[in-house]
Amino acid sequence: MTPADLFPTLAPWVHNLQNVWPAYVIKPQFATWEVLHILSLVVLGGASILLNLRLIGVGVTNEPASEVHRNLRLWLHVGIIGVVLSGLLIGMANAERLYNSAAFTVKIIALVAGVILTYGASAPIARADGQVSASAKVWWLIGLAVFLFGIGMLVTSKLINPGVFHVLTAAALIVLFATHGRMRWIYLAGLLVLIAAQWLGTHVVVKQTDFERLDPTNKAFAWVFAAWILGFAGWGLFGARPGAANRPLVQAVGYVTILVWVLAAAAGRWIAFA
Amino acid sequence: MRGTDHKGYGVIRNFLVWLQTEFGKGGGEVAQSWSEALLGSPNFWGLLEGTHLLSLMLFAGTIFVVDLRLLGVAFRRTPVSALSERVLPLTVFGFAMVVVTGLALFFAKPLVYYHNIWFRAKLIFLFLALVNIVVFHYRVQRNIAQWDTLAKPPASARASAAISLTAWLCVITLGRFIAYDWYECGKAIPHWINVAEDCAASEFGATDLKEVVE
Repeated sequence: MTPADLFPTLAPWVHNLQNVWPAYVIKPQFATWEVLHILSLVVLGGASILLNLRLIGVGVTNEPASEVHRNLRLWLHVGIIGVVLSGLLIGMANAERLYNSAAFTVKIIALVAGVILTYGASAPIARADGQVSASAKVWWLIGLAVFLFGIGMLVTSKLINPGVFHVLTAAALIVLFATHGRMRWIYLAGLLVLIAAQWLGTHVVVKQTDFERLDPTNKAFAWVFAAWILGFAGWGLFGARPGAANRPLVQAVGYVTILVWVLAAAAGRWIAFA
Repeated sequence: MRGTDHKGYGVIRNFLVWLQTEFGKGGGEVAQSWSEALLGSPNFWGLLEGTHLLSLMLFAGTIFVVDLRLLGVAFRRTPVSALSERVLPLTVFGFAMVVVTGLALFFAKPLVYYHNIWFRAKLIFLFLALVNIVVFHYRVQRNIAQWDTLAKPPASARASAAISLTAWLCVITLGRFIAYDWYECGKAIPHWINVAEDCAASEFGATDLKEVVE
């Protein structure tokens, strides 16, 4: 679903947007502003990954979560403000394309979910060293719902739905980092088998030119990957290490808050492809 | 492009022509090389590009935090060694992903990248960043025990962090500019860019801006 489907009456306004200040100033230096957008994503990525991995119980575990948050909060703000501001400017200069892009819709949903989860749940929980307040729980539920809505939108949109493999890859890697001992090797072996099976299934069993069968095959594999990753994530949250670093809810907030920014970045990239 | 009818200008270009047009090519008139198949794949190319960006968020985002610690800006109470020990495995993993996806992207369009001034400049800054890592590892870090817990590490460590930040900033910026065709071979562009991109050897040739204007 594109913004044009959601807000059809905005078409004339969007059409004229590139002639409005500062869009016509931005357009000739579009690439430079794009670089600013990517650099903001990098700053946000580093800060968000380290803070939320700490909530999961990996990464900078030699410092309390509150200390990690204290050191990274400025860079979280810089990253998010940078992404929003540079995004607004390059968006104005490229409005018509975004207006007709389903990937842009997903990106905006992910951005909203990312802000809610970061400022409503992840940051307050880190600041309180893992204590989850009632308001953090409410924001977590709202943010999670918006995130899942964004995932649903990505999966059901034609041409951009392969982008869900970015989220699956990121989730697979986080679980790999967070899983320990023999379970990590079992998990990794399973992932490798699935990757090999998907390659064989979409190159040998189903030919690359057979689009009618290729699409459902890839979708089926996406579900199997998701089940494998979620299964091990669930085992890590509820079944493993009784004295684990953080409570399941805190770890779940960490997982989802990383993935929501992955979704935003991935959807942003897929604007260029479809 | 005209494929294999190039006249042969140097070993590297010849190798890249072979890589792009011949490597992995089967029989038959419509057979594609592996490079062409990768570039033409409906979704895999997009997934590779997206993964390159996401890996960059992990790699550059985490090295940036370590550099800020060395500059005395963030994690001032945390020993440098303790932070590095926890963050650098993520950075190294991110770097490996960036390299693997970057090589695959290069493999899909080797001649385009070979004749691209931004790509060539990116490689220079990449080399600079890697030399800086080696210098930091073998020289700057040798006496880390003396300044590990200092909020503000010595000038040599701060200089190394500043070089690292600048080099990666340039690598990212130049990497993004590769996508733009401002200075593509065959277009009327300044002479020095034609030389820097080795346009004379490209299938599009070199067109000097000055000659066109005159």
